Amino acid sequence: MKRHHYPAAWALVLALFFPCFLLAQYPVTGTVTDADGEPLVGVSILVVGTTSGTITDFDGTFELEIPDNRSELRLSYTGFAPQTVAVERDIAPLQIVLQEDVANLEQVVVTGLASTIKRSNLANAVSVVSGEDLTGVTSQQTVDGALYGKLTGVNITQTSGAPGGGYALRLRGVSSLSGNNQPLFIVDGVYISNVEIASGSRGASGANSANEEGASNRIADINPDDIESIEVLKGASAAAIYGTRANAGVVIITTKKGVSGETRVSFNQDLGFNTIIRKVGRRSYNAAQIEEAFGADARDQFVAAQAAGEIFDYEDIIYGQKGFITDSRLRVSGGNEKTNFFVSSSWRDEAGIIKNTGYERFTARLNLTHQVNDWLKVQSNTNYIRSQAARSFTGNENEGGLSYGYTLAFTRDYINLFPDEFGNYPDNPNASGNPLQTRDQTRNDENVDRILEGININLNLLRTGNQSLNVIFNGGLDFILSKTFVYVPESFQSQRGRQQGFLAEGKNDLFNYNYSAIAVHDFYTESGINFTTQAGITYLNQSADQLLSQTTQLIPLQTNLSQGAAQSTNQFLLNVEEFGYVVQEEVNVNDQVILTGGLRFDKSSLNGDPNKLYTFPRASVALNLHEFDFWSGDGPLDQLKLRAAYGQTGNSASFGSLFTSLAFVSTGGNAGLTVNGRQGNSGLEPETSSEIEVGTDLGLFDNKVNVTATYYVRDVTNLLYDRSLPTSSGFGNEIRNDLDLRNRGFEFQLGLNPFRSPAFDYRTTFNFWLNRSEITRLGIEDGSDGEDIPSFVPPGAGFGLGLGTFYINEGSPITGLWQSTPDGPMQVGNTEPDFQFGWNNNLTLFENLDINFLFHWRQGSELLNLTRFLTDIGGTTPREYDNLDSFIEDGSYFRLREAGIAYRFPLEDTFIRGVRVGVSGRNIFTITDYSSYDPETSVNGGSGLSTNLEVAPFPSSRQFYLQIGLDF
Amino acid sequence: MKTLFLPLLAGGLLFLTGCEIDEQFDPNGPSINSVLSDATKVELDLLVTAIEAGIRNGYAGYVTASGTIARELYIFDADPRNTEDLLGKEDIVLDNNTFYITGPFNSSYRVVKNANILLEAVDNTSSVSEAEKDGYRAFANTMKALVLSRVLDLLGDNGIRVDVADPNNLGPFLSRDESYSALLGLLDEADAQLQGADFGFTLSTGFEGFDTPETFQEFNRALAARIATHGERYDEALTYVNESFLDLDGDLSVGPEMIFSAAAGDLLNPLFKTPGQSGDQIIVHPRIIADTTAGDLRVDEKFRLRQQSTSQDNLNGDYETALYPSATSPIDIIRNEELVLIYAEANINRNDLGTAVEALNVVRNAAGLADYDGEVTQDALIDELLYQRTYSLWSEGHLMFDLRRYGRLNAQFLPIDREGDDIFVQFPIPLAEGV
Repeated sequence: MKRHHYPAAWALVLALFFPCFLLAQYPVTGTVTDADGEPLVGVSILVVGTTSGTITDFDGTFELEIPDNRSELRLSYTGFAPQTVAVERDIAPLQIVLQEDVANLEQVVVTGLASTIKRSNLANAVSVVSGEDLTGVTSQQTVDGALYGKLTGVNITQTSGAPGGGYALRLRGVSSLSGNNQPLFIVDGVYISNVEIASGSRGASGANSANEEGASNRIADINPDDIESIEVLKGASAAAIYGTRANAGVVIITTKKGVSGETRVSFNQDLGFNTIIRKVGRRSYNAAQIEEAFGADARDQFVAAQAAGEIFDYEDIIYGQKGFITDSRLRVSGGNEKTNFFVSSSWRDEAGIIKNTGYERFTARLNLTHQVNDWLKVQSNTNYIRSQAARSFTGNENEGGLSYGYTLAFTRDYINLFPDEFGNYPDNPNASGNPLQTRDQTRNDENVDRILEGININLNLLRTGNQSLNVIFNGGLDFILSKTFVYVPESFQSQRGRQQGFLAEGKNDLFNYNYSAIAVHDFYTESGINFTTQAGITYLNQSADQLLSQTTQLIPLQTNLSQGAAQSTNQFLLNVEEFGYVVQEEVNVNDQVILTGGLRFDKSSLNGDPNKLYTFPRASVALNLHEFDFWSGDGPLDQLKLRAAYGQTGNSASFGSLFTSLAFVSTGGNAGLTVNGRQGNSGLEPETSSEIEVGTDLGLFDNKVNVTATYYVRDVTNLLYDRSLPTSSGFGNEIRNDLDLRNRGFEFQLGLNPFRSPAFDYRTTFNFWLNRSEITRLGIEDGSDGEDIPSFVPPGAGFGLGLGTFYINEGSPITGLWQSTPDGPMQVGNTEPDFQFGWNNNLTLFENLDINFLFHWRQGSELLNLTRFLTDIGGTTPREYDNLDSFIEDGSYFRLREAGIAYRFPLEDTFIRGVRVGVSGRNIFTITDYSSYDPETSVNGGSGLSTNLEVAPFPSSRQFYLQIGLDF
Repeated sequence: MKTLFLPLLAGGLLFLTGCEIDEQFDPNGPSINSVLSDATKVELDLLVTAIEAGIRNGYAGYVTASGTIARELYIFDADPRNTEDLLGKEDIVLDNNTFYITGPFNSSYRVVKNANILLEAVDNTSSVSEAEKDGYRAFANTMKALVLSRVLDLLGDNGIRVDVADPNNLGPFLSRDESYSALLGLLDEADAQLQGADFGFTLSTGFEGFDTPETFQEFNRALAARIATHGERYDEALTYVNESFLDLDGDLSVGPEMIFSAAAGDLLNPLFKTPGQSGDQIIVHPRIIADTTAGDLRVDEKFRLRQQSTSQDNLNGDYETALYPSATSPIDIIRNEELVLIYAEANINRNDLGTAVEALNVVRNAAGLADYDGEVTQDALIDELLYQRTYSLWSEGHLMFDLRRYGRLNAQFLPIDREGDDIFVQFPIPLAEGV
């Protein structure tokens, strides 16, 4: 049992400190099956009190040498409850039946950078979504969009309904206002980028800033079907070990790996379509009403149009497309004792609800695991993605005449905007663009080529009877080559006489890499206490070179950058380096008490002092009362865990915040340098978030009933924020960090599995969560001396107090919507929901019929609906909304988010093992009082305070699918 | 087994030495500190151009926001606040955090900041001569006064901040009267600096004829005359205008300009609107059309009859702006025509009515109108002066302040287009100022 794979010197040193004993052994053999008698392959079997063990082979059998002083085996297998079996010398071959782990207690969850822990021993409410939960019901567009309603503590906003994504994920409320305030995404150890890459379309549309361009966020590149599981570390107490990248939480994605055994091939084909989630409608008019609204000339036009039968429904003409979707996925996996592989490829082609919009994504993946020998394991995960999105123009703009919602608001249905016989589009007499021309002749495209590569080397330096030492090297790279293309022809209404055509091409080269080296030492005492110690380093490097070239004054019909009279180039360079040390200690006393303590030290080039280390501690305790001897086990309660966790994370300012830059301007051919509005701060420190989380996990009636309840308090101190400066200073805003924010929340999950048989199985999960925020400090501490910071409107986070905006005011939530009133600025709404509720149901009937549905209820989340503001002015708001007096509306909704019904054909074929046919849908119906398209919306992209502001969005869609799956 | 040593060694070294991160610099542009000490002449010149370029920003907002309030024009574009807030639709009041005030306010103070950086840079460098330093200073102070006078026009009795060199310690908002004194003081300071100054920098062709210390001084005095007029200091105005490039017999169009081009980093004329365009258009207020005099050349020159009348938010108009022929047409900063009118106005208020009539006739004749034959009283001449200013300076950012100065910015003198509309007399101080 003892393995010497380290050099003699090591052996000597270790032998001195950790003596180990050579003992007599006895053999045990056996077979492991599930309840149906099917052999289980790869079940891990551990001799209790040692680190030695084995796994079952293809027939579910195993053979093991057991030291004389040991008499228990512990069997564990993903998806099955663990079992401890007593053994003794000369025992007959064992027949072990594993029971399914209905409560997922055995699920393994990542807690350190290189160690895992069983869910039942976890001190945090870490949400885990399996690949099956993610994509099992219906076809998913993107990973982040697929999560909503499936776990607690999450708020997701859709920044664009265009195919190809546009989501913003918030875990346990807003924790950061600047920089990357979205969670850190890690795929197989690779820190992946979730940037939104702007296309420069604001140069033509007049949108206020890059985040109004409605770009997709690049997590959309991940094929949801490749995912084995997603773990969401929602708060600082769980994510502390990730240091300065983890203030907004961490999403850890693990992709599927091959399993030793027969090669498995599966092919899935989804066919479906997109259709608008809801039509708002257009204002109805008769001739008299037209005259009253638009004047006598308009009445004549209207009457003539009516006579010619030319009253159009432009909403339907623009948004009424049924976009065809096809999604094909091929997976091949298998392996032998030494090498496992997983190969997948997918192709998704999706057309949007607006003609000429769509998304196409090709992915290929190879995951290889090779056990070089019994002390070295190498894993490589390679993913290539190529995607193209045609997103056209939506959202806020100024006089570009491009954004559909904007022009539709002013477009009158009695005006014929269709092209004449020569293909000339008439001008829109009431807006600065003809939406049909936008649809047919302009382009706003994104092209991405991306490679993700993760390498994981696991080196076992030592394994003795009661201890082991592993060193885990992890390296990852994420390379994105993104091209954007925007074209507005010179014949376009708003272009004529001014820009005379607009062409912009972006080339964005983003390269991120990270590595870590962590040593993990496990030590088991005689009395069953397990110490896991880890220490290591991490490094992250991000760089970007983003070039945007644009040309105006185009030569007619040319779409080449050099074919225009006015050319300009813009370059943005970024380079970020971060380095950290990690130590963590975990103590597990017989699964009864589990203690964890850890420290992370981080430095970052984003901080004022790039070499100053900031410390982020964590500590947690989990108490499994049911594991104690005094626990009788007679009552209905099978599991009772009490847990508490504390941790800190940080976040550095966004790139460029340290500098006060001068920008290039020109007049009359002379170059100039001007201040650009933002005052930098060369002494910035990271903001920190400290969280205390307490909770309990209960299992009742053979774990048919599971309850998880968590309460947390998260305090963000020294929050980095842009403050609007008195602009008479010449600067628009400055970056500061003297703001404290508190988020408190409650998360509750009830899982029921009342019927549990192959013929009839019903599982249901109720998720309930809420979050409340409060700005606890702005400027100096209350009561101390100095000049305090007055309440202010954060830059770029709304549309001024005249219409509605976020507003930073001590003692108020950070998510409030404020407006000017005669008594000064007042909070008139709150974008934070009162609560959210997800209800997931999985039903299996007649052994082979699967019925799944997920309801999602969001209660009390106000939106600023400026789409209606525009249609009011343009005279196109449906009459049913005439009596709505405020543009701030209730965004509560109840939605059937996903539903699917599928039949698995029982086959006894050796070639085709399984055939599955189903129909499913997403966003099938929504009950809401909200007067516009979809209450999940944001005009401002994913970062900052961006939720619940609606200005002429790309409407969300409903999707329906026919799904066919084949397993070979 | 020896292979193990390599990764261990590598890991161990990394762990021990860590990773030293280099001091950071901005890869995307020069930083402010580089120009504040020991600036080169090139850097000073770059700041001069930034100031000249910067006075164009916010000008369109200044013109259209004040012009809407003065009922000389409507803005029909995609932002409804142009027809709601500015016209006081249904009890809406002007907001202190909306683009119509924050836009012109912010861009003006951006220019002031650049001017203050230039002043500080000039004080801390030895790369130019003393005479050249005075040239830079005079330029900076004159341009500061130009942009600050726009802010003062908009804010009216609220006054303005003038001392804003230290962003962490901003000076107070001065009263209206103090503000006028401060601006005239700035211009006088520049005027003094121009004595014996050298211009080491090159201005754009927009300043052709005003790009030497002597000719720039005439521009400086012209600005002072305008500001003194807005401040109702007519004696001073007369003195200033006489020292300016006022020429009663000369070309009324003479004066420095803001110029535009499609080049990289440059701007297009924001007040040019494509003929016939809808959705983004400056519409002439119907009262302006209704009041025209037959034969007035300015009417055809500035207003274009639309093929289709247009309406938005229950407002209608048949004419659109024709002030600028193309997107690269220059915009006058101040021209002889305005100086003649200032000269007339100062004389009316000093009760030198004969001189005033002569000056008014210069403008009338240039517009193709016969000599003034109305009553020669102060009141009648003020009516005549305001009429001529309305058409000579339409959509150039004057009328709101002209009407206000004579107590006519109210419903007694201006039409109310929609029931419930209001006429505002000044803009609020932007919220971000925290006052």
